[in-house]
Amino acid sequence: MKHSVNRPPTPDGAEDQGNEPILQEIINIKLIESGEKERLMEMLRERLIECGWKDEMKALCRAYVKKKGRNNVTVDDLVHLITPKGRASVPDSVKAELLQRIRSFLTSAAL
Amino acid sequence: MSSKINGHVSPQPCPHLLVFRSRNGPKPFRALKDCIRVKPPGGRAAIRREPTEVARCGTCEESSRSRLYACVACAAVFCHAPLLHSHASDHSLSIPGHEIAVDVDRAELFCCACGDQVYDRDFDAAVVLAQTVNATATTSTSGSTAMQCSVAGSQPENLRKRRRVDYRPWEPDSGEHISRGNQSIPLLDAANASLVSSTQQPWGLRGLNNLGNTCFMNSILQALLHTPPLRNYFLGDRHNRYYCQQKNGAINGTKNSRLCLACDMDALFSAVFSGDRTPYSPAKFLYSWWQHAANLASYEQQDAHEFFISMLEGIHEKVEKDKRKSQSPAGSGDCCIAHRVFSGILRSDVMCMVCGFTSTTYDPCVDISLDLEPNQGGSGKSSSAKSLNSFNVEADCMRPNQNCGISTLKGCLERFTRAEKLGSDQKLFCQKCQVRQESLKQMSIRKLPLVSCFHVKRFEHSSIRKMSRKVDRYLQFPFSLDMAPYLSSSILRSRFGNRIFPFDGDEQDASNDLSTEFELFAVVTHSGRLDAGHYVTYLRLSNQWYKCDDAWITQVNESIVRAAQGYMMFYVQKVLYYKESENQGTS
Repeated sequence: MKHSVNRPPTPDGAEDQGNEPILQEIINIKLIESGEKERLMEMLRERLIECGWKDEMKALCRAYVKKKGRNNVTVDDLVHLITPKGRASVPDSVKAELLQRIRSFLTSAAL
Repeated sequence: MSSKINGHVSPQPCPHLLVFRSRNGPKPFRALKDCIRVKPPGGRAAIRREPTEVARCGTCEESSRSRLYACVACAAVFCHAPLLHSHASDHSLSIPGHEIAVDVDRAELFCCACGDQVYDRDFDAAVVLAQTVNATATTSTSGSTAMQCSVAGSQPENLRKRRRVDYRPWEPDSGEHISRGNQSIPLLDAANASLVSSTQQPWGLRGLNNLGNTCFMNSILQALLHTPPLRNYFLGDRHNRYYCQQKNGAINGTKNSRLCLACDMDALFSAVFSGDRTPYSPAKFLYSWWQHAANLASYEQQDAHEFFISMLEGIHEKVEKDKRKSQSPAGSGDCCIAHRVFSGILRSDVMCMVCGFTSTTYDPCVDISLDLEPNQGGSGKSSSAKSLNSFNVEADCMRPNQNCGISTLKGCLERFTRAEKLGSDQKLFCQKCQVRQESLKQMSIRKLPLVSCFHVKRFEHSSIRKMSRKVDRYLQFPFSLDMAPYLSSSILRSRFGNRIFPFDGDEQDASNDLSTEFELFAVVTHSGRLDAGHYVTYLRLSNQWYKCDDAWITQVNESIVRAAQGYMMFYVQKVLYYKESENQGTS
């Protein structure tokens, strides 16, 4: 599916990154192009399931839906709800492993 | 706002989706079908891109956003992060008719105006299709029929809708009044009252004498005597041994009527529930069973699970010979009481790792045998100490936590329903590839029985090494168990993600109305070695636990039960566990 290449970027001052891609962008592109990002995502999914993080988030969502009523909740509500808690409760071991993988990827990609 | 299909909620479309559908014809997402790409067969569905193509938001050029949506109307990609900014929402607001978008990484439909996921049957069917069959151009049509066959079409006959019968209360007629008076003894009158209430024990608790290494039989019989549907069946006179023997005597012409294990069970129920507390010797029963299972007729120790299976077969066989019914579909439980109570249906999906073609088979089962997980390094020795401390924690809320090292029944069930890669020495024949390929196999439960019996494989027989050994590792089991995560519907849903899954068409199946919650009522435990051991059964009556050790019945604390080494666990559907918490003494 093609992107909408003909559409000029909306001049929105606050988000405009300028024309120089920052380091984060470059790394992200490299990760995607090599397929490493997908592998990392799969690994991350596995780890988060193993340590029970996914179940915790599920439980949070369930409790929220129960409180608000099934028909009054949207996906955006749930994302808004669990994003801060989710980010905070990722185990350090998982973060460390992910960082390590990215680091080793970068060193190998730089060669 | 939502309707129920198959017991599961099917969301109604939002107004924007309805408008979109009305504008773009009956199958508005048809074009998207070709854009779905699936990682190695069975993996996640996403919107197809070139490997080097990086999805970016058309407005802010960011590619590292976690949610990127492609507008279904104009194919423009935007980010959506409602807290910071949502260029997807901006786009939908700026151009009417462009509210519906698809998540590029997850292949899920989203309405940017409502801020919520929406569902379209055709789209979800297309995604599932792409996930199950590797859609190369030529096979797309044959692939769809294959999938429909394997999923929706080939239903075993026993899953047809069953007509419901109106409830009519029953009153005995005059003939029944008379026979009632003649052949029954009052349970509670002045004479018997002392017999019943003196020990304060519930009905049906009676020790069984050991007739020579027959604890394997006694333990299973105790469990069966208190299996609610089975108990109700026999105590409700649904198999009258006098009538049955009379009938058989007439057919055979001999007085020594044919073997009928159900008649012997009926006699056993009468004896055990008579109110007499002195231990009973089930000699007649043992003799009958020996005749049925001649190869096991000896005074050697036997395996309780083997006995259980052969007993169910014995009850079934007799009934089948009798009625000479046309084969009722396997797993429906229409054939005999044993299957009515214990028979469930297992679903087995085998997926070819090369082409993704999945073949599904349904098999009836009367119990589920579970493997204990291989010993987890390090915590083997200390697990027994740990397990004692965790008794206060209700097992239900324990997560599958591998750090702990305790095996749980839920863990075993999870492993049972996990997708398992079969080894390269176990290649199965793939219909599509027409050759043996490496496969992925996954089990799930299609239909739950009334009573679930879990058998823990503690006895390992190795024919290679010509030795057997017993696995003593402790297994934690819950008193209440929800089987929902192990059902086929749940397993399939987790395989395909968040879809309206046209599972078995839209038929309401009678079995889906039963809940998935089960209550533990009997535990058969084994202690000792493989060749010299002892079976004991713990029964849960009126929320009290009783230890049945051959002729000795004692009340025990539930912590004793939790600490026991479970070999077979019997769970009954919670809806059939009614009145168990009431005092059964004199009410």
